[in-house]
Order: sequence, then structure tokens, then C-alpha cells
Amino acid sequence: MAEMSHIERVMAGLTNAKGDRLSTYPIACGVNRKLVNGGVSYRDWAHDPKLYAQAFIEGQKAFDFDFAIGLMDLSVMAGDLGAGVRFDKENTPFVEKTLVNSPEDYEKFKVPDIKKGRSHVILEGTKQFCDVLKTQVITAGFLEGPLLALSQSAGAERLFMDMFTNPSAVHKALKTMTEYDVEMVKGFGKTGCAGLCWDYLWGNYSCLGDKEYNEFEGCKKYAGDLNELTGKEGMALAIHNCADLPHLDTQITAFKPAIYSMAYYPLIPGSPSATETIEKGYCDNCLVGGQIDPQLFIRASVEKITQVTKDLCQEVKTALCKRGLGSRYIIASGCEVPPDLHTKMENIKAVVDTTKQYGIVDW
Amino acid sequence: MSKEKILNKLSDAVVAGKPDLAKEGAKEALAEKMDALDAINNGLVKGMSIVGDKYAARQVYLPQVLMSAHTMYAGLDILLPAIPKTALASMKKCATAVVEGDVHDIGKNIVKTMLTASGFDVNDLGKDVPIQTIIDTAKNQKLDAIALSTLMTPTMDGMKAAVDGLIENGYRKNVKVCIGGAPTSPAFAKEIGADHRDSNAQDCAAWLKEVF
Repeated sequence: MAEMSHIERVMAGLTNAKGDRLSTYPIACGVNRKLVNGGVSYRDWAHDPKLYAQAFIEGQKAFDFDFAIGLMDLSVMAGDLGAGVRFDKENTPFVEKTLVNSPEDYEKFKVPDIKKGRSHVILEGTKQFCDVLKTQVITAGFLEGPLLALSQSAGAERLFMDMFTNPSAVHKALKTMTEYDVEMVKGFGKTGCAGLCWDYLWGNYSCLGDKEYNEFEGCKKYAGDLNELTGKEGMALAIHNCADLPHLDTQITAFKPAIYSMAYYPLIPGSPSATETIEKGYCDNCLVGGQIDPQLFIRASVEKITQVTKDLCQEVKTALCKRGLGSRYIIASGCEVPPDLHTKMENIKAVVDTTKQYGIVDW
Repeated sequence: MSKEKILNKLSDAVVAGKPDLAKEGAKEALAEKMDALDAINNGLVKGMSIVGDKYAARQVYLPQVLMSAHTMYAGLDILLPAIPKTALASMKKCATAVVEGDVHDIGKNIVKTMLTASGFDVNDLGKDVPIQTIIDTAKNQKLDAIALSTLMTPTMDGMKAAVDGLIENGYRKNVKVCIGGAPTSPAFAKEIGADHRDSNAQDCAAWLKEVF
């Protein structure tokens, strides 16, 4: 089969048509800042739409991905809501001062002005990289789901206990988070991105059961409406969940995303491998991506990560073939490639190049 | 109230996540002149073990576990001061910490809870803990074990720095070092010279109990 363009390849995967090979996307986002102007700091990258966009553009030139997905980090919304974010020069920023000290504080959240702060950076930056890349690859914005945004703002431990003791207060804040997400979805809808990738992290059985997840995020008034709005705004629905035991029945079967990105934790009983994910039918109607250990991009040799990628390609192709599916899998990292100064850029290239060679599907 | 009823009240309070009930039960235990250690082990800890087993079996989830832990500590605050110092001296001492540069502490807090429920004397150093504090605390407090956690990649090197520091100050052979957190692995533990890496709090506590 003749080599397809990136977009043709992904579309073949999405529609279960004949594709030339498996698509690939090591989730390299912040790490690509090292390719901009000889390397810019994380802090500068995350505050400047031009630098933010340029990292994705340079990443595409360097690695020839099939996708460009605009993940920054998980403190964007919390920071704009007023939480104290610690911004070391080169570390991934994180919330160090949360906003909820009593149940009444849940009612004090206000939707911030998305034309300011890092909400603006991520929207404008996504528009800028989409302007350049949207004719080459499948582009997507990236957005925290309401429960994730609230956990980052309130503190996860506090939030989880308040779910138990003050659920009505938590719901008031989730309503505000959802309104914030609605604004952001509409913003992403104007960037030209083909899809929007939601981070619905807390839909995992290490943290929440079906009942809790459904009540606090999975139900119609939160994720349901946001997923629907994503489509109405002209974007394909994608979901990323790098937790250990994701709620696949809810997040794939019920939410029906076009693309689902997940991780694999071999030491955790029940964590679904790529083969199990395919065998259980989760790829039947969804282009699933995973599951290379992100730590390998820092700690493994090129030879090691090449072998891991080769093995994953073989595993996935075998399982897809048994299931009667073609190229409906993305060889990807289970979570973001660490945006660390020590991440080996040659390992990102190794994953892409190995997929090009060993991800070819025989029809 | 009989001793059995008080123990059941303490255990049930933890299982149900009712801190006020645990406080009430703890006060009743002391009023009835019960052995505080007995009230802890056969009341609060028994309840936490039930919750731990239910969590492992996916019958309860993090919100319930956290409420149960909160409840256990509410009871412990009342009962621990009543334990004779001689009884405390025989407990193995350990510290928990999220290493410097990281503030994600739910996992560490669950480990702290399970270690406490397993009979360890736990000093929780908190989150974003300077590496030198971990090294100094181990030696100065003559700790038997340290459980270190991080959820972030850049801060994993802090775990190695802690192990290296313990070698430098000559205390490494006296203390077991366990690590945890999503980006860590048994291979990473081996690479940095830690003794153990676990995927969950129950297994970490079980491993340390076995070691000691």
C-alpha cells in the first residue's frame, strides 16, 4: 500500500478503513520547547502563545508525528481560578496553594476571563499551531474536565472527603467548573483544531467507583453536556486518561469518543494492556492510543525504547487482526513525554521511526 | 459500656467514616480505663484494616478511605497520649514524605494511614520536603524505615539524593527505604539503591511488617 499522509492515516484508523500503518504520537508537548530558539524555559513556554505554538511546530518538523495535541499542564485552570501555582523555571508547574478551606469556599469560584491568563495562552497558542499544522496532521486542543479542574483548585484530598460529607457544596463548584469548561470549549472551537482532548483523570477505579464518578463527572450535566458541546463546536471528541484503572465502559463505551488515550501499569492487577483493551472491544468503535511508559523517554536507551515500540506494534497488530480491525491503534506514550530537561529527544524519534517500520499493516 | 461494645464502636466509626463517633468511642475507652493500645489495635486499626481490604477489593473508593483515615486519626488524637512511653518505644519508627518539588500527597497520606494501622510509629514529614530534612531526620530520630513518594518525573532524582545522603551520613544500613508514586518502578528503586517499590499502600505496609 502506498504511503498515506498523516491525516489520511488517522482517518483510516478512525473509520476502520485500510491504513498503511499504525499511527503514532508520543505525547511530546512541553518537551518540544527545547527545540524553540535553542531551548526556552518551561515558564516562558507556558506564558507565551507564540513560544507555546512554536514548540508544536518544531516538534512536527523534528519528529514527523501524526497528531499535534496541545497539552500544557494540569494547573492552567486552577491558576486562572486563583489558586497559587508554583512555577519553577524548568519543572512542570503545580498548585501549591489551593482555594478551599471550608465548604462555603466551593460557592466562591467564579469563571475567569478566558482572554487572560494561561487560558488565553493555551487558546491562542493552539490557534497558532493549528494555523500551521492543521493541513498536515490531526490537531487537537486539550482541556481539563470539571472534576480535575476542581481537584486542582480545591485540593484532591479535601475534595474527595467533601464528596462524602458535603456533596451539595461540591456540586455547586462543579457547576462553575463546567461553565468555565463551556467557555473554553467555545474558545477551542474558534482555533481551527480538529478535535478536543478532555482529561477526565478521576474516572479510574483506584480513586472512584462508577457511582461516585457518575455523580461527580460522568453524568449528563457535566461530562455529558461538555462532550456534546465539543461536537456542536465542530471538534471530534478525544479523551485522555493516564490513571491506572480507567473507567473504560463509561469513558469509551458510553461517552463514544473518536480517540482515547490511556496508560498501562503492568504491576497493578487489572490494568488493561493493549491486547486486553482490543480484545474487550474498546477499539471496535474508537481509535485507542497508548501505552509506552513515559519514563522510558528519560531512562531508556534508544535500543531499549526501539525494542519496546517494536514489541508494542507487533502486539497491537496481532490483537487488531484477531478482532478484525485494521490500524485502529495509535502507538503513543501512556502519558505525556516528561517535559524534563533530561528527556532524550532521540527516544521520541525512535518511537516514531520504529512505528513507521514495524507498524505497517498487511491487508 | 462493655469493652467489646466500645471496640466495636471504634471500629464501626472508622468503617463508616464518622470522626465524631470515633472521638466519642475513644473518650469512652479512656473513661472505662481500657488499655489505650488495645482500643487502638482492636478498635480503630481493626476498622481501618476492614476499609483497606474493601478498598483492595474495589468495594469502597478513595473518598471513603480518606474519610476512614480521617476518622482513625480523630480517635488516635485522643488515645495516643494515653499510651505509656515504654509501649511506644517498642514500635518501629518510620517517616513518610513527598520529596522536594512535589506537593501531590494523597498517596503518601494513604501510606501513612496504612503504616499507622500496621503498628508503626509514623512521623509524617509532609510534602515538598527538602532532601536534607529527610536525611537528617532518619539519623537524628533513629528511624527504621522511610517511605518516599513523588508523582512527578523531575523530582524522582530527589529520591536518589536521599538514598545517597543516607549513605554519606552513615545511616543507610540502619534504615529501609521504600519508594512509591506513578513514575517510579522496581527498576528505578534498584537503580537508586532503594530497598523496595510498591504500587499501593497496603502492600508497602505489608512489606515493611514482613521485613521487621
